[in-house]
Amino acid sequence: MRRDAFASYHPVVGFAYFVAVIAFSMLWMHPVLQAISLFGAVVYSQLLRSAKALRFNLLYMLPLLLFAALLNPAFNHAGATILFYLRSGNPVTLESLLYGAAAAVMFVTVLIWFSCYNAVMTSDKFIYLFGRLLPGLSLIFSMVLRFVPRYRNQIGRISLAQRSIGRDATQGSLVRKAQNGMRIVSIMTTWALENAIETADSMKARGYGLPRRTSFSLYRFDRRDRLALGWLAFFAAIVLTGAALGHNAIRFFPSIRMEPATPLSFIVYASYCALCLMPVGIQLVEDFKWKFIASRT
Amino acid sequence: MSNGTLKGGNGRDAVDRTGPRVSGQQRAASRRWSRRTLLSALLIVLVIPATILLGVFVLDDRKYYFVSLLIILYTLVPFALVFENRKPQARELIVIAVLAAIAVAGRAAFFMVPQFKPVVAIVIIAGVSFGAEAGFLVGATAGFVSNFFFGQGPWTPWQMFCFGIIGFVAGLLYRKGWLKRSRLSLCFFGGLMTLIIYGGIINIGSVMMFTPRFNWQALAAAYATGFWFDLVHAVATVVFLYVLSRPMIEKLDRIKTKYGLVER
Repeated sequence: MRRDAFASYHPVVGFAYFVAVIAFSMLWMHPVLQAISLFGAVVYSQLLRSAKALRFNLLYMLPLLLFAALLNPAFNHAGATILFYLRSGNPVTLESLLYGAAAAVMFVTVLIWFSCYNAVMTSDKFIYLFGRLLPGLSLIFSMVLRFVPRYRNQIGRISLAQRSIGRDATQGSLVRKAQNGMRIVSIMTTWALENAIETADSMKARGYGLPRRTSFSLYRFDRRDRLALGWLAFFAAIVLTGAALGHNAIRFFPSIRMEPATPLSFIVYASYCALCLMPVGIQLVEDFKWKFIASRT
Repeated sequence: MSNGTLKGGNGRDAVDRTGPRVSGQQRAASRRWSRRTLLSALLIVLVIPATILLGVFVLDDRKYYFVSLLIILYTLVPFALVFENRKPQARELIVIAVLAAIAVAGRAAFFMVPQFKPVVAIVIIAGVSFGAEAGFLVGATAGFVSNFFFGQGPWTPWQMFCFGIIGFVAGLLYRKGWLKRSRLSLCFFGGLMTLIIYGGIINIGSVMMFTPRFNWQALAAAYATGFWFDLVHAVATVVFLYVLSRPMIEKLDRIKTKYGLVER
């Protein structure tokens, strides 16, 4: 993954941004808004994880989209425009076909936004955000993340020690192997529990849970974060106003109906664009700045 | 040397509750539901239906996908609040973290076999040994953290809720005395819970995700196609409980007696 400019912003900005775009993508099925959100998500995922994202989008998301689109007409027979009848005698309607497509696009868009979220909002940022709010749970969460690789490492050590006395999971008959494997897991579990109590006592000795302890934070909320959050709030407000006025809505059943497009709805579309393409825009501006200041000798 | 140290090394941890209780007392005390357990149960029984009704009558807008996700997230909140409010001790936190990490590592170790995962088994063992709340937290944390390795998505809250609620119910039923520590009882309970609660709720979740316009045929189809996956998952839970339950519970009991961890 290349260094992403938006990922270097304050975690509050990143979290607010993803909550907003994912919630908006789930709420509105208006085709123009869906297209904007899908486009923003795909472009950003390409930017974040170029080749891997392309494979993910084509290999998994495209078949999923088709599958989900075809699933709806099979179960949903509402709608006024009947295209043809299934063998069971149930009608397939244009509305349910389009609704299935819209639902599928929504689902896929959310998944792609989540894949961007995974790349940008790493676990340390999550802990930074929720460490104050939910100190106990954040601590559990960060410990579990740490324990998993640690246990893998420890299993390796135990199995090396067991191998030297001929009791590794690779030695002996099949039953023996299984027994040895179970013993290694058992040793591991006991070690983990004992070790955990030691860790807890050590934490206690160093003052865990006492009031007015400082937290380890690397992030500063500076001007560009305020700017980004302001941008986010401003355009989200416009899009939400549009929603309140009914510009983002679409009715599928019994027949498809949308609000006719007015100048105001174009403002809403433009704001949604500004929202969904915000990280991409930030990246482009950064790239431009970099090219501009890099010395050409 | 204080009396507490003689009993179970609890003197080290002055802020912890009393030392380990005598087994007779413990039995009597565990029959009664603690106030916290009761509160959590009330939240589950009352708050969830209330939220669903709110979604149906107030938001009346066919936003099932969004509303269902909200409901599931919402159900996780009371547990978090109750847990944070009582300022958990370091030892308690870390035991929950260890059990969740074992569950996550178990899910990772069996990544190549679809659905054949030990997570539910470990969550049930946690609920039985450390109580309903710990069971919930182990399950929810395992669901959340394992998706940092496997990928987050709209399914994460559903998995968190399913794992959590199984641990919670295991703890409650054990406290009530309906669930025994015997292998047979645990295996029966585990298989049933995985099939009915996990399979039942996860399938609703996937219907909500794929066809945001909820209807019963789609749900029935999801149950029909998901049945074999759920069955494999249930069999896995039974197998893991059969193999793991006795040694795991023994180890957890040993840790509890040795360090004087109080059952909640």
